[in-house]
Amino acid sequence: MIFPEGAAARTDTTDVAGRVYDVVIVGAGISGAIIADRLSREGRSVLLLEAAPADDLTISGYETYLNRFYGTAMKDNQAPYPVLPPVPMPRSTDARPLPPGGGPNTGGYLVQDGPHSTDTTYTRVLGGTTLHWEAKILRMLPEDFELSRRYGQGLPWPLGYDELEPLYREAEREIGVSADIEDQRYLGLHYPPDYVYPMRGLPASFLDQTVAKGIDGTSIRVGDDEEIPIRVRPFPQGRNGIPNPAYDAGRGFTPVGAVSTHQVEEGGRCQGNNNCVPICPVQAKYHAGKTLARTLHRDVDLLAQAVAYKVHTDPENGRVTRIEYRRYQDPQSTAYETGFAQGRTYVLATNAIENARLMLASGLQDRADLIGRNLMDHAYLLTWARLPEVAGTMRGTNCTSGITDLRGGRFRRDRASFSIDIHNDGWGWATGAPVTDLLRIVDQDHQYGFGLRRSLVDQVSTQLLLAHMIEVLPDRDNRVTVDPRYRDELGNMRPVISFKVPDYTMRGAAFARDLSRQLFGKLGAEDHTGYDPAEYGYVEFGGDGYRILGGNHLAGTHVMGTSPATSVVDDHQRSWEHENLYLVGGGSMPTIGTANTTLTSTALCLRTAKHLIQELRRQDRPVTLATIGAR
Amino acid sequence: MILDDFVAFSSEVTGFTEFDLIGTGQAESYLRTVTEVVGERTLADLLDAYRARVTDTGDEQARAGQLTGAVLGDDRLGPIARNIIKLWYSGTWFALPDDWTGRFGAPGREGTFNASPQAYTQGLLWYAIGANPPGARAPGYGSWASPPLIPALPPSPVPQSVRTGS
Repeated sequence: MIFPEGAAARTDTTDVAGRVYDVVIVGAGISGAIIADRLSREGRSVLLLEAAPADDLTISGYETYLNRFYGTAMKDNQAPYPVLPPVPMPRSTDARPLPPGGGPNTGGYLVQDGPHSTDTTYTRVLGGTTLHWEAKILRMLPEDFELSRRYGQGLPWPLGYDELEPLYREAEREIGVSADIEDQRYLGLHYPPDYVYPMRGLPASFLDQTVAKGIDGTSIRVGDDEEIPIRVRPFPQGRNGIPNPAYDAGRGFTPVGAVSTHQVEEGGRCQGNNNCVPICPVQAKYHAGKTLARTLHRDVDLLAQAVAYKVHTDPENGRVTRIEYRRYQDPQSTAYETGFAQGRTYVLATNAIENARLMLASGLQDRADLIGRNLMDHAYLLTWARLPEVAGTMRGTNCTSGITDLRGGRFRRDRASFSIDIHNDGWGWATGAPVTDLLRIVDQDHQYGFGLRRSLVDQVSTQLLLAHMIEVLPDRDNRVTVDPRYRDELGNMRPVISFKVPDYTMRGAAFARDLSRQLFGKLGAEDHTGYDPAEYGYVEFGGDGYRILGGNHLAGTHVMGTSPATSVVDDHQRSWEHENLYLVGGGSMPTIGTANTTLTSTALCLRTAKHLIQELRRQDRPVTLATIGAR
Repeated sequence: MILDDFVAFSSEVTGFTEFDLIGTGQAESYLRTVTEVVGERTLADLLDAYRARVTDTGDEQARAGQLTGAVLGDDRLGPIARNIIKLWYSGTWFALPDDWTGRFGAPGREGTFNASPQAYTQGLLWYAIGANPPGARAPGYGSWASPPLIPALPPSPVPQSVRTGS
């Protein structure tokens, strides 16, 4: 994919000040990029305000990310990306346990007010968190949209699976999804009869196959009245595989590879780097730069190093009048100049935490006091064990398969559903394997030479880690707020996070812990799971201790609904109180189910783009009625 | 030559042949890294101890005893030797323990750091288990579906140059 040379630097504050765009979008991640793409394709003028620095996307630029990752000893999920004073970002290494009843942890970018602390992150670079995401890309289940009606849990959705289904397909094309359709028909997921994914599914890892041999066909008793058979199932992946010639009624699919200002042949197919998070070295994994590159060939201005500071509105009618931003010249300095961007419509596409933060920092809490509330993120419970045989752990993409049969069921009346990932990178997430294994074997077991090599195979190639991605329901008290005492170096108020893992989720976690004991038993695997009360994320529930980690699947701070009394945006993600403002992304989701949020968020953004196209056309129609006046 | 001694010693403690180690392209960089942290004198002491006490020992068990006694179990040299193993395996130099720096002096470079970006991509840790360092040296699409190809151990734990006396 060719990135138009000079596009990242062709717009300056003077250009922006001199224009009224059809759409001003805050945030050049996947949501902003896709809306910019669809609107510009219709000839609409678009401004993208991006907080991070943006050079033209080039292979050599991308390789500075990669080299930063190679060169650092601390390989956390933000390791490749620059730490810059004007655009701080959350980092798992900043998470700390909170003292009971003690003050907030203000040490990281996120101010953590508790009672539970989270290590959730997002990446503030051009392309956003799709640079570091894993790109496992599931649809939500039909029943996920009906959780409230069917099981009396969560908030109601104003739309359902059938309305999103064509948009899911469109998102799967945009992202480039690899999956075999026959693996993805379960729990009511349905597709048009001739649908296939753009690319064939990625082969299951040898580790997946080992687990499948041991557990496929096992029936799990859930509660008193439910028996659920389980099997290992491949996940759809937002990374390039082998194109399916049957796609698009036989027209096939051309994978989009690496982005650069010149033609490069790289990234057309996953190579098994086992490093989807934090960076795919060849760009076989989708990132929003692929969409941006296409978009910037059109009438789209990208103003980088411009951090949105305030959304200004007309007090009379609530309409947004301009976005005030702070633009820094030097990424190492926090000196800035103030600028303003004007459009006919505005889209906030920063993510659930930053969208709420910006609205609240602008003094724009809605009358129902919902902005920032109902913050959701998947709760991850890890369990890990050692298999009796070498299973070739540490190879493949980060995760090729898992167990998805417990994503749905009647048990959701009183306990959270979850999806289980089989992690091809072993115990890494839980223990820091395999480097921590190396340190233990060398420093404590005093092994060297052949003994060391044999121990590594015995202790690493046999690792199995199950990551349970557990549903978290909306809760008013789980929220993002702002506080003038806590600002970043550019003067922006930082997000203050109050979060408690709901009991509904913990009941799911307790069940997941028990289930993994059963599964490890079937596999003859030695359970090594342990949760340290001294670590962040430790949660006591029903007399047992668990460690709940964040999923970086942020949702729910500006939920959509059918009325301004119960929601912030409508089913087009349009703000009820500011008619030319759209709050888009995961924040609009009233529940998150057990699908990683990006595909649903992208489908919602495609819906918003279609709506905006119609809305702008409607506004452009010659005024023939005198009553139109105020518009 | 100190580089040859360094590679011979590294071969013995890592369980990889000198050919494997030189093949990573990192030997000189690692020698510089170790020298920068602990100084030429200390590294020379380590390699001398290895050369004098271990290289001529033929019997495998006696050899292990000598290696432990003279180098790995030595209060001053042991932590450095273990750090050299970890450096070859991960590309990272791990900070020496506090009690080491308390007894033997401040290192020439503090803390934990990677020898270079390339060092990580040549880490033996992943090679030893038939995998690739995440993000580098990709094995190719679909390779993960097959059982791992775990490289065989060399025919002898004694480095080639020590065996042939070169």
